Amino acid sequence: MNRNLFSKEFKRNKKTLIIWSFIVIILTVLVLSIFPYMKDMGDDMAVMMSKLPEGMTKSMGINMDTFNTILGMYNTYYGVYIIVLLSIYASTTGATILSKEEKEKTAEFLLTKPLSRKNIFNTKLLVLFTLSVSAFLLQTLTAVIFVFVFGGEEVQWSVFTTMHTHGLMLILFFTCLGLFLSMVLKSKMNFMGMTVGLVFGSYFLNAIAKTSDTISWIGYFSPFHYLDFSVSDPSYSLNFASVVVILFICILLLVTSYKMYAKKDISA
Amino acid sequence: MLAIQTKKLCKYYGEDLGVKDISLEIEQGEIFGFIGPNGAGKSTLIRTLLGLLIPTSGSAHIFGQVITLSGETIRKDIGYLPSEVNYYDEMSSRELLEYHCRFYGIYDYSEIKRLASIFKLDLNKKITDLSFGNRKKCGIIQSLIHKPKLLIMDEPTSGLDPLMQRVFFEILRDEHERGTTIFFSSHILSEVQNLCHRAAIIKDGEIKATENIQSLQKKQMKKVALVFAQKPEHLKFTEGIQNEEWQGLKLTFEYVGPLANLINWMSSLDLLDAILEEPDLESIFMNYY
Repeated sequence: MNRNLFSKEFKRNKKTLIIWSFIVIILTVLVLSIFPYMKDMGDDMAVMMSKLPEGMTKSMGINMDTFNTILGMYNTYYGVYIIVLLSIYASTTGATILSKEEKEKTAEFLLTKPLSRKNIFNTKLLVLFTLSVSAFLLQTLTAVIFVFVFGGEEVQWSVFTTMHTHGLMLILFFTCLGLFLSMVLKSKMNFMGMTVGLVFGSYFLNAIAKTSDTISWIGYFSPFHYLDFSVSDPSYSLNFASVVVILFICILLLVTSYKMYAKKDISA
Repeated sequence: MLAIQTKKLCKYYGEDLGVKDISLEIEQGEIFGFIGPNGAGKSTLIRTLLGLLIPTSGSAHIFGQVITLSGETIRKDIGYLPSEVNYYDEMSSRELLEYHCRFYGIYDYSEIKRLASIFKLDLNKKITDLSFGNRKKCGIIQSLIHKPKLLIMDEPTSGLDPLMQRVFFEILRDEHERGTTIFFSSHILSEVQNLCHRAAIIKDGEIKATENIQSLQKKQMKKVALVFAQKPEHLKFTEGIQNEEWQGLKLTFEYVGPLANLINWMSSLDLLDAILEEPDLESIFMNYY
């Protein structure tokens, strides 16, 4: 790890970290602070929900009880918006952290310094995980505080922990995937559009799969299928096997990315 | 120990040739020129030596260490000026140069100020606001500041005004006296002739010759244009004249040979005007390589 590179790189990315964290924190605060009002309307909401097409409620992970518990309510935002947003942030940062130097032709400056490529890769990786995990932790901390304040005593914290562990795994997966894609593809392309598409694409793949049994198989191609947020399911718990597999895939993506980076020609 | 030694170094980009069979030996303390037209492979070789490109085959050592294995250690002793300077736009020159210094464990930034005043560079301006020439100056300072043992300069004078070029060459001579090895790549022949001890000539990715500057100077070709008072009837050309061409009273030709012979011959003619020019690199290459 090179401290000089780390601090420069962290400073360079601080602004985007603050913006993205701010957005997910605002969403968290919003959804959790309206829970007390929603709870009062809980029965009316349930009636309204029952009128929606079944496929739609299934794909969104909503059922009768969703708006009666704070975690059910929170999850309609967490599993849908917050994790998708954090995943987009993580994968975009992953895709640009190394490729940006090549795109802006500063790689020539950095790679002619007395640093090995391994050192550069590891330092950038550390910055990358610091950024995506920071965004995750800031949001989690906000959620803990607001769930605690508005949720009262009946909060199932084990469900909350499972949700956030699944969320963290998805973020890590998309971080590594972003980095890997920037190694495989031309480093001068714009990655933002692609990562948005990938995250949304895999989210909707899972959402569509849940609407009907006949096409449920397409969900297998989405990480959201393995790390799910169906909190109203009484058997909802940490999917340990998925966590292990996702971590293994992450390591595989990182090792492959490093091997490619070590042998890469830095074009002018 | 040699400063740079390459043996049959090759770099291909997929199928495309970058450089081929480059074998060079550069002594420590030498100023070594590297001349060739644009696209000949000068930058490719330099970028391979620096570890930006991975060589396809062959080997290269800098200060006795293998470039593909000890790049990190080797680069401590290298100052590199790229032909196109690209830095982090959001930084000022000062921030960039301090950032650079910290990679070499230098935390005393007084040398930045000293060099900036020599080159008249405003350190507070953002990189993005710098002109091409000022960016180049920032690049030159960056290559010198950590007192490297080997300077690799790729087209260093492009973008510098003549005054700055003079300052720059003075600094290079100081560096040379300090014992620094200088690898000087250029497509401008006169620069290389004035500065370097030896030079390699590269064309189409291959080294065509490595010559002492003296012998290169002997091969020196002049482009000559003479304007006659009246067209001579039987003009006897002296030896070494080629490609002669008449345009009215004006005669142009290329001359290769001792300058004294040419001047003697010219003094016997009835001339209104005479122009002796340095040929472009292209015509020298057409003649020798």
